[in-house]
Amino acid sequence: MLSRFIHKLKAWYLARQSVKRRWSEWDYLVLDIETSGLNAKQDHIVSVGWVCIQNGVIELDTARHIVLDNAQIGDNVGIHMITDSDVQQHGKRQESVLRYLRHLLRNRVLVVHHAPMELGFLKQSWLEHALPTFSLSWLDTLAIERSKANRAQQPIQDGGFRLDACRERYGLPEYQGHDALTDALATAELLLAQIAYQGRDCRLYDLNQMGGGRTRLVPRS
Amino acid sequence: MAAIDIPEVHKFIETIPPFSGLSLLERKQILTGVSMLYVRQGQTLVLKDDSATVHLIRRGACEIRTPKGGLVDQIADGECFGVSSVMAQNPDGLQVVAMEDSLVYRFDKIRFIEMLEKNEAFGLFFEHTQHNRLRKLTRSQSNELASPALQLSTPVAHIMTRQLIQATPKETVQTIAMRMTEARVSSILVVEEGRLQGIVTDRDLRSRILAVGGSSDSLVANVMTASPVTLSPNSLVMQAQTLMSESNIHHLPIVDEEHQAVGMLTAADLLRHQELSPLLLINLIHRQQSVESLARVCKQWPTLIINLIVTDMKAADVGKVLATVSDNLTRRLIELALEKLGPAPMDFQFLVFGSQARRDQSLGSDQDNGLMLEREPSTEESLYFADLSEFVCQGLGLCGIRLCPGNIMASNPEWRRTTDGWQQAFSRWIKSSAPSALLHASIFFDIRCVYDNGKSEGEAVKDLIKAMQLEVSKNSVFLATLTRSALVTKPPLGFFRHFLLESSGEHKHQLDLKHQGLALINDLARLYGLSCQTYRVGTLDRIEQAIREKLISVDTARNLMDAWDKLNGLRLEAQSRHFQATGKASAYLDPKDLSPLERKHLKTTFSIISEVQDVAQQRFLRGYS
Repeated sequence: MLSRFIHKLKAWYLARQSVKRRWSEWDYLVLDIETSGLNAKQDHIVSVGWVCIQNGVIELDTARHIVLDNAQIGDNVGIHMITDSDVQQHGKRQESVLRYLRHLLRNRVLVVHHAPMELGFLKQSWLEHALPTFSLSWLDTLAIERSKANRAQQPIQDGGFRLDACRERYGLPEYQGHDALTDALATAELLLAQIAYQGRDCRLYDLNQMGGGRTRLVPRS
Repeated sequence: MAAIDIPEVHKFIETIPPFSGLSLLERKQILTGVSMLYVRQGQTLVLKDDSATVHLIRRGACEIRTPKGGLVDQIADGECFGVSSVMAQNPDGLQVVAMEDSLVYRFDKIRFIEMLEKNEAFGLFFEHTQHNRLRKLTRSQSNELASPALQLSTPVAHIMTRQLIQATPKETVQTIAMRMTEARVSSILVVEEGRLQGIVTDRDLRSRILAVGGSSDSLVANVMTASPVTLSPNSLVMQAQTLMSESNIHHLPIVDEEHQAVGMLTAADLLRHQELSPLLLINLIHRQQSVESLARVCKQWPTLIINLIVTDMKAADVGKVLATVSDNLTRRLIELALEKLGPAPMDFQFLVFGSQARRDQSLGSDQDNGLMLEREPSTEESLYFADLSEFVCQGLGLCGIRLCPGNIMASNPEWRRTTDGWQQAFSRWIKSSAPSALLHASIFFDIRCVYDNGKSEGEAVKDLIKAMQLEVSKNSVFLATLTRSALVTKPPLGFFRHFLLESSGEHKHQLDLKHQGLALINDLARLYGLSCQTYRVGTLDRIEQAIREKLISVDTARNLMDAWDKLNGLRLEAQSRHFQATGKASAYLDPKDLSPLERKHLKTTFSIISEVQDVAQQRFLRGYS
């Protein structure tokens, strides 16, 4: 009984302390998922790309681009440029990729652009593959951008929250490709730009307030 | 660590030398361990420990500065910094400051050094980059000591000879001749009780002893030039030059307040110091006896301007130097005309307008001038002044100052008026506020007298200006109209990085620095200048006067002055580039030729103009718009 209390107290204390830590003291995994459509229940993941942020810089060595073996390419080949032969040659089993991701996310904050979409697909995959329950913290660069716009009372037009449009506002370079990896890198750069505008001492806590949260991925019960 | 396989990174790197020269395998090797950072504008990068490595700018702009803050280099997209940190542990302690938000690749130090050793061409490139920076570094440091622009205003103390060869008045000529030979100098100072009494030069020995069969036992007191022309050590080089050329002497003793000799300045010292040629050109101009020979001398005009520009002289100073040369040219032409036509039948003043009056001439400026006569001329007198004006204006044309396309020249009878005639003209323009009057106003309200044959020393023009300002201050409608016309043209400021460019014609996609930039500032300055109690004719002088009279806030004014300097500098550079390429001066600029950093500066510059336009609108148009 007492030990449980001490444990809880310790957790509470750690959480208090972590609020004060600067953003760069945390590690991040910036993820982008290419899918065959917009509906997580019907469509499936085609490929995933990610890159990590450590000590406040993007470590390009950590970049990965993985095509899944169950991808059904069909008509979408024009969008993400992945062909059937890519899948046959490089395809990885979705379940092993997800386990690997879960491993990487254990001590990293997930960063995505437009969280509902990416988290929806992750949740669905957890259900399908009966992966162990997993809690993760996430940041959404789109939500952060929206909070910023609201705070500054500068309405942003339709389409102004697309990744490219957000990047343009920070003068970030225009990228030609739109595969999962390029978009993950593009999102990572956007996050750094957003943080730079928040000032030197920006904390993860502040970013969370603007567009972040915690989500539990659970297997089908 | 695995090799980086991000298409966008490879795509960028393979276009940037020297990375473009690497094989795919080498490129993958050097990209291993690369991280990417985002540097906020104004942030200083500390290149220490692991960060003491080469960085490549993906997007943005940075400055490399000395520890004292001196500028060494400005770099942008696709350029590297940190080279000297890797190659020589950054002995100069250079710092990198982000000028705009920058996305930067940071290479892994060990991999980078490996590649420098492995690939010779790659290593050479960075060695070259480092040499280049070192050269810029030394140049920036020597510039801190004496910039060419300062040379004319250097105190003579900096260039005079301090080791003085002296004699007393009681010595013989022979002994001082021996001392001069020994010291290899051409003059000796004669000093008694610490005070300068005279000077003896080689020429004195020749003309006062040898030529007249004098004795070598003659006393110095008898051959010296007593009470010679002197200057104080803090006089300027320019004064010394003028004095020596006026008095036709080659040796100038420098004395302190107690009349003790502290130095000697010779023509040779000046020549060594004198790298600029404007004074030389002015001297030449005054020695020419005909329009033809003047025109020949003035062929150096564009070269002179280009020299001034490439020596990094400040744009405002270039304008002043050019105005001084054209003033002198104008005066010489008037003198030649007077020699040819005989003395003028009455007092007259030669007026200049526009850029020459404002002293911001550049390559390809045309002439705007007129005559102001003491009284109404007779028919015969009228003919005399017609001849004189024709001579001067055509002469200026031959010497490279283009005839005015709008015919605003003294050779046009319309612009030869009596003092009263000019006053009436100004008064009419101010009262009518018609568009043509405003056009006239923008040219004629910048007015200066360059030649006055009477004794009034330009007083008549000062009266004219006073009357004009009085009229303006009484007529607030005119000021409002002038304001409105000054605000019609807006600086070409688009959203984000785009410029609204000339959409058609020869200069499609180019920026007109003169009409879309400088003219707007000149108009604003004129507006403030006319509202001041004290008339100033130069744009910067007007803005400074407006600060003094509290018509404009110091910050706004300083910003505007910076903007003027910046645009003028760009215009001069664009003109000189264009002139060297085509033989014609053009103030058009293709923003593509600018680095991202320069584009950023230019954008800021335009937004400053736009802000001051708003400020002026508030000030002068309240109740009229």
